Amino acid sequence: MKVREYNIVIAGVGGQGVLTAANILGWAALRAGYKVRMGEVHGMSQRFGSVVSYVRFGEEVYGSMVPEGKGDVILGFEPVEALRYINHLRQGGMVVVNTKPIVPVQVSMGKARYPEIDEIKKIVEEDFQAKWIGFNAEELAIKAGHVVTTNTVLIGALTQIPEFPLDAEHVREVIRLSVPPKAVDMNMKAFDLGIEAAKEILGL
Amino acid sequence: MAKVTDMVLWDKPGEKVLLLGNQAIARGALEANIAVYAAYPGTPSSELTDTMAIVAKKAGVYMEYSTNEKVAFETALAAAWSGLRAMTAMKHVGLNVAADTFLSSVGMGVEGGFVIMVADDPSMWSSQNEQDTRVYAKFANVPVLEPSSPHEAKEMTKYAFELSEKFKHFVILRTTTRTSHARGDVVLGELPEEIKAGKRKFGKFKKDPNRFVDVPANARKFHPIILEKIEKIREEFNDMPFNWIEGDESAKVGIIAPGLAYAYVKEALHWLGVEDVKVLKLGTPFPVPYGLLEKFMDSLEKVLIVEELEPVVEEQVKTWAYDRGLRIPIHGKDLVPRVYEMTTRRAVTAIAKFLGIDVPLDYGELDAKYNKALEIVPPRPPSLCPACPHRNSFYAIKKATRARGIYPSDIGCYTLGLLPPLNAVDTTVAMGGSIGIAHGLEIAQHGSLSEEQRKKEKKVIVATIGDSTFYHTGLPALANAIYNRSNVLIVVLDNLVTAMTGDQPNPSTGQTPHGMGKRIPIEDVARAMGADFVEVVDPYDIKKTYEVMKKALEVEGVSVVVSRQVCALYKIGQMRRRGEKWPIYYVDEEACTGCKVCINAYGCPAIYWDEEKRQARIEPSMCWGCGGCAQICPFGAFKPVEEGEE
Ligand code: SF4
Ligand code: SF4
Repeated sequence: MKVREYNIVIAGVGGQGVLTAANILGWAALRAGYKVRMGEVHGMSQRFGSVVSYVRFGEEVYGSMVPEGKGDVILGFEPVEALRYINHLRQGGMVVVNTKPIVPVQVSMGKARYPEIDEIKKIVEEDFQAKWIGFNAEELAIKAGHVVTTNTVLIGALTQIPEFPLDAEHVREVIRLSVPPKAVDMNMKAFDLGIEAAKEILGL
Repeated sequence: MAKVTDMVLWDKPGEKVLLLGNQAIARGALEANIAVYAAYPGTPSSELTDTMAIVAKKAGVYMEYSTNEKVAFETALAAAWSGLRAMTAMKHVGLNVAADTFLSSVGMGVEGGFVIMVADDPSMWSSQNEQDTRVYAKFANVPVLEPSSPHEAKEMTKYAFELSEKFKHFVILRTTTRTSHARGDVVLGELPEEIKAGKRKFGKFKKDPNRFVDVPANARKFHPIILEKIEKIREEFNDMPFNWIEGDESAKVGIIAPGLAYAYVKEALHWLGVEDVKVLKLGTPFPVPYGLLEKFMDSLEKVLIVEELEPVVEEQVKTWAYDRGLRIPIHGKDLVPRVYEMTTRRAVTAIAKFLGIDVPLDYGELDAKYNKALEIVPPRPPSLCPACPHRNSFYAIKKATRARGIYPSDIGCYTLGLLPPLNAVDTTVAMGGSIGIAHGLEIAQHGSLSEEQRKKEKKVIVATIGDSTFYHTGLPALANAIYNRSNVLIVVLDNLVTAMTGDQPNPSTGQTPHGMGKRIPIEDVARAMGADFVEVVDPYDIKKTYEVMKKALEVEGVSVVVSRQVCALYKIGQMRRRGEKWPIYYVDEEACTGCKVCINAYGCPAIYWDEEKRQARIEPSMCWGCGGCAQICPFGAFKPVEEGEE
């Protein structure tokens, strides 16, 4: 069954591999025969600042940015960053998120406070009526072989959420083709760990 | 997946690939059989130039990173005069730099197709101002093509060359951030044999002093020629493939949507479930084709123009309507904001108001919820990378001036030195502006002070500028400061690449995309110009850097310190590719007293504060091993981990 439109918002910190993840999902959607539009951040904002990428696909898509209130899922590489773009989520959407924080310099300097994960979760669940699928993806990535596979773990988890329109095995195939040959095994393992983590949380 | 740069060169007509708008334009230029490409990088245009840099040699295209947009413009223009298809690209503010040549030469026209790609940045994601290139185009009387998707960007690029050649006139291909940096499905077209064979093309310049020398007698002839061309092009646009009317033919209301706004309008109409409107999709915001407009406006009772930034189309439509005596409501900037970029929300809101219908989402409620959520979200502005050499330079400058200086800076990564804890940037205006501003401040602040007062004040002016920026427009400003006996310290932050836009080379790098060019050391230039003090330092040696800054500050006249160390992001990228490891640092818990100097004065993003232990810590995955922290910590708490780590 083809979807008319599916919107993914990927949020994180510059350098975390947000763009790579977006690209993988974009290619998977293109190979599934969908029209694809993606919007991304370049230039100054990439330097350890907050970054967001949009992946949209379906029978009909136009703009490259997910409109406010229209996102089906937020894929958060970092908890606070997932919350920063929460206005893009639709009612009843999903937040798949790595719960390992990256503390901004402003917080270290004592000029701002980093919230508790539970505070973030509460806002997502109560105010935005969204489902929270949070786990420490970085830990799983390290288990798979290297922290750089965090984005693969998260994509693995993403493929398990209800009504996700792309086939997990197709997404896996795109990852296999995108990463350097010597990193394939590690990424396949990371992908599986992500799938397991999501299944456990979703009770599948 | 195949490498993007390979796909740009694929000889697979009909294949559907995922390309960035900028890459799609590069492909379009190749499909158009481009011969010469010259540009200076600038977000959001850079990836077009970077893609050309990688494919040029294989495609037989001459390509260069020029030192600034004006020079790039002239290089490509001369090639177009010689009958070749040529292109230059820049960001909106880059057109200001090229404007002198642009406006002076437009009357001369071209022989080969000449396309100027200008990428605007509404909302200023990575720019110092918001500027609508279509206004410039109107001013210069140059037609603008504006794509609504990556695929159309490719097709339009091809058409732009043909159009330019047909009318022997310049053509601007205008994008915005959301076209340049959007990825979408692009269907590859045919590549010309010459591109496939990778053979360089050469042209011939036919002398014609009546045309190519704009002495007043000749220039006087140009203006009417330009106006005549633009009217002919207006005609041409009536039935070009990127302009069309769609929707319900009998509709009484219409929407005009130029460029990318078309995508937002389509999205909004679908969301609103509105069907009885006519849409004029306009790929040519200037000049607006009157014939098509007439066909569209005929039988309409009201019209809305949804366009980003300035009311360029709106003014043309209103003028046209007035001249025809057409008296129907024409809406535009009264419903669509004039500042910042277009969004679906903006399009939905404007169209709903225009049609008098409800907005499908309660934005007020969403905003309230969102604002509440934002209350607990700490800010995360971009920052200088871990191990960035600029951090050390700023740290040394601040120390040497006892934080009492005035610090004009420039455009590049180092503008981020503005942020706490460094706070080492007081002004940034435009490329190359730091030196001119420093000189001006010097005159204004110190010109009237006696020697004694001046010493007492102890206020010093330290300009910072990058290597690429130095060669871009710093040179004339430096000559001016030296010539006029200014008294400033100019620190050239030479990281040997143009880092912010993606590590492009420049004269200080020496390397070109096609091998070695000639490297021009900045210190040689400064010496040759007659600076009163010139020295080169390695900012990774903070103490030495500080000492040289101190020495330079004591010198009467223009001092130039070249602070040279390769960009850390670039270096780490190279090391990663080669599979090399680098040392990382850790905090010795015995030694750390919790003084917070590393956080409050230095600010490497890899260092964070452990609230429980009240000590500094290093996030190992972010440390790039420069050892700067070890140099600035008064208690020797930062130490290298014995084992290197990737
Ligand atoms: S990219 Fe290079 S110059 Fe820019 S902040 Fe990072 S290390 Fe510094
Ligand atoms: S060595 Fe110190 S200053 Fe350098 S990157 Fe690592 S933590 Fe930052």
